[in-house]
Amino acid sequence: MVTLNVNGVRHEVKAPDDTPLLYVLRNDLELIGPQFGCGLAQCGACAVLVDGKEARSCVTPVASVANQEITTLEGLPARWAKQKGLSAAEAKNTLHPVQQAWIEEQTPQCGVCQNGMMIKATELLESNPKPTLGQIKEAFTTSGPSPNLCRCGTYVAIIEAVQHAATIMAKGR
Amino acid sequence: MATMSEKPANVIGPTLSRRGFIKAGGILVVGFSFVDPELLRGDSAKPTTFKNSLDPTLPSSWIEIHPDNTVLIRTGKSDFGQGSTFTAYRQIVAEELSVPFDAITTVVSGHTDLTPDGSGAFDFLGHGTPNIRKAAAYTYQALLDVASEKLGVPKDKLSVKDGTVSGGGKSISYGDLVKNQQLKLTIPVKGDLTSIFGLTIEGNPPMKPVSEYTVIGKSFKNSIISTKVAAKETWATDVRLPGMLHARVVHPKTLGSSLVSAGSVDKTKFPNSQVIVKGNLVGVVAPTEWEAIQAADQVAAGTKWSDWKGLPGNAKLYQHLREEADWTSAPIEKSKESKGDVGPALASAHKKHSATYQLSYMKHAPIGPTMAVADVKSDGTVHIYVHNQNPQALRGEIATMLGTTPDHVIVHSYPGPGHYGRSNGGNSGAEDEAVLLSKAVGKPVRVQWTRADDMQWSTQAAAAFSDVQVAIDEKGKMAAYQIDHYMPAMQDDRPVGAVLAGLPTMSAPDVHSGGVTSTVNGLEDPWIYAPVPNVIERGHGTFQVGQKASPIAVGLRDHSMRTPGQFQQNYPRELAISEAAALAGADAIQFRIDHASEERAIGVLKAVRDASGWDTRPSPRHDAVSTGETPVGGRGVSLMLRSGSYWACVCQIAVTPSTGAIVVEKYTVAVDPGIVVNPMQLKRNVEGGAVMGIGHALFEEVMFDESGITTEDWNSYPIPTMADIPEIKVVLLHNPKVGAYGGGSEAANALAAPAIAAALHDATGKVMRRLPMKPAYVQEVLKS
Repeated sequence: MVTLNVNGVRHEVKAPDDTPLLYVLRNDLELIGPQFGCGLAQCGACAVLVDGKEARSCVTPVASVANQEITTLEGLPARWAKQKGLSAAEAKNTLHPVQQAWIEEQTPQCGVCQNGMMIKATELLESNPKPTLGQIKEAFTTSGPSPNLCRCGTYVAIIEAVQHAATIMAKGR
Repeated sequence: MATMSEKPANVIGPTLSRRGFIKAGGILVVGFSFVDPELLRGDSAKPTTFKNSLDPTLPSSWIEIHPDNTVLIRTGKSDFGQGSTFTAYRQIVAEELSVPFDAITTVVSGHTDLTPDGSGAFDFLGHGTPNIRKAAAYTYQALLDVASEKLGVPKDKLSVKDGTVSGGGKSISYGDLVKNQQLKLTIPVKGDLTSIFGLTIEGNPPMKPVSEYTVIGKSFKNSIISTKVAAKETWATDVRLPGMLHARVVHPKTLGSSLVSAGSVDKTKFPNSQVIVKGNLVGVVAPTEWEAIQAADQVAAGTKWSDWKGLPGNAKLYQHLREEADWTSAPIEKSKESKGDVGPALASAHKKHSATYQLSYMKHAPIGPTMAVADVKSDGTVHIYVHNQNPQALRGEIATMLGTTPDHVIVHSYPGPGHYGRSNGGNSGAEDEAVLLSKAVGKPVRVQWTRADDMQWSTQAAAAFSDVQVAIDEKGKMAAYQIDHYMPAMQDDRPVGAVLAGLPTMSAPDVHSGGVTSTVNGLEDPWIYAPVPNVIERGHGTFQVGQKASPIAVGLRDHSMRTPGQFQQNYPRELAISEAAALAGADAIQFRIDHASEERAIGVLKAVRDASGWDTRPSPRHDAVSTGETPVGGRGVSLMLRSGSYWACVCQIAVTPSTGAIVVEKYTVAVDPGIVVNPMQLKRNVEGGAVMGIGHALFEEVMFDESGITTEDWNSYPIPTMADIPEIKVVLLHNPKVGAYGGGSEAANALAAPAIAAALHDATGKVMRRLPMKPAYVQEVLKS
């Protein structure tokens, strides 16, 4: 039995300790934001935030993140609402600025990698609210266990969405 | 406040829960049918239909207009990230019906029992007349007829705005018009539903004049992006059925191995796992995904396969293709643009260019490996839940495998990773395996391929080589152009699980195989340089490498990939044209303009010249250098006509001669698709294609030895990262006088390779005539 804290909710999970977090999130907790891309920490499609840091859930044994604060794509709106102290009513209709920017900029094509891209963008913007182009490229290429890969080639749209999200976040809401 | 900025449309149709399914919540279908023989000039013979299919001759199978004035559209084409079904299709229907874009609230796509026409996720815009446009145009005429009768106003005195018909001082909304109406309209269709091209609507209904367009040309947002980004979409990979088991497949050791003995599972460790063996197909099923993975690893370790060596290995690929492949079994194709007599013109050339160009095998490499859920019911009905580019074709293939008819196979479509052509013939790998395992255990089974399965057991884009000769006359003009394209069969649509299990499939590619699965190498790259007096373009085809040698009839299976066949033919042509320009001492863009006659081709060349800041001069640059550690810059151009769209691309690069490393610094592309339906979506598609094209040009090569594919993951098959992308500039040339809309997702990926290769020549004075241009290969060329 492992105790997980995901998107602010505690779960008692029966999966074996070595089960990759990805399968627990998807199959046990029905959180389908993280995607299976490689199972090798080579692409980033499965990324989640663990205590605010991007982690690859496909190679993270579930027991290794017990009691840590895990945020999935589903948890990004609440994370933003909490950071900004929004009322419950406001929070309900709010997307995280990163998600909002991803829609405004029409970033995804197939969209399978975009979970990891939005997780990486959130990690970046929480520590660096006004990243330069070079810093954005560094974040998505060298900061994690591997580059965050997009086969559809949406990197231009991702860069534009990160910059747009930074603008929304600077406005505060 | 960051809120949802748009009203998302229901893009799937039936409401689905994430666990188990709720039946479709009673969509109101207002069928109306109407016959106007004037409109029906096509062959209205009714094609064969199957149970669990819509009747394609009924208008409501395509478009439903509801009493509340909302509209539902149906298309057999699944979205693979292009967004066309959720943007362009809604815009096209809105335009032809004269309703607002937002009135189209539901797009049903892909499901074989809920869509009428089949066909694949390619050529969405159908050279300007996709099925859905004709369906809307017929429907519009039928609506006008009803309105004319109801309002007592002649049809030609009626006008429609925002879904309301007006005339003679009266008006009525579409919603009111269709209430309680029983009308007759038969949509004329022809074709074979489960073939790769599906059904086509026939006839020539009047279309709205382009000058009256108000919806097409605007950047409407793609509604499915909102649900995907908010984690509110149900993807194929999320489908869970009651009692469903997870499965992994243990694929053979080589592409020609037979099973000697299957390994077993340690029941004390994996008490709920089962090994299923069917011929050479070995599957492992378990109640949880993690148990299935671990048990499959154990079974794989204990499974014995025969050895096989029958492939040339990638080091000897081109030698094999040139010297050992049988190019005589398939007839030689000749392009219709071939003319004159190239022989004497080449013999008397003032200057002559003669060279061979080579392209390696490339993977489609979806970012998520293939998966499928299958549920074979006790009565023989088969349900497949999947992301697939051609669900109706899959339906036919599964029926063939099981020895039944498509009546009993239903394919349910959900979003998933881009396949870039891999499943446009109906399967991507896991579907048939899921069906066989589900049938064996009598429960729903979810097969998920691993990253290595996906690299090693999927199909790939065919390798190819081309021999080119160009004659230049005294005036520096091309007097003759000769090209011979050699490529193994580029499309094998046999489901691999059925092949491994020894079950019936369509035949392996052969000269007698139909259409795209034939070994005949058709000419795919339309000739644009019409003023050249002597031209011959030939296509030579053969079997897939290893297909005949493999005892299990596998080998290196190929499949069309984004810009299929044309990529393999345009790369050698465009690089050769750049080399011919250099030989003639001419600027590469001006040389193309001087040899083109079509205004649109010249238009994209001039646009890309202006937008890229091109300096007109011959290549290579006067200070070209092929040694040293200082990066040297160069630029090159490429040109293509595909699916009614003209494309020109300029790449500016920096290459470090000592390492052979190429960095693309700026990529400029101009496209004239005729009418631009949705500028934002087209721009995004082109940007994505540009990035993929840089990967094709610089990195992507399937590595294989004598037994199988050794490429296994993203380290051994690198694709572009964000750090690899240049400044990308997209110039959209809206050209309404063309009167039609061309495609915009393909071609973009094929333009980079010949432009980058020409840029390398410009920078260094050396020509590399092989893809990919990996640093080690570039170094070899620069040292030569």
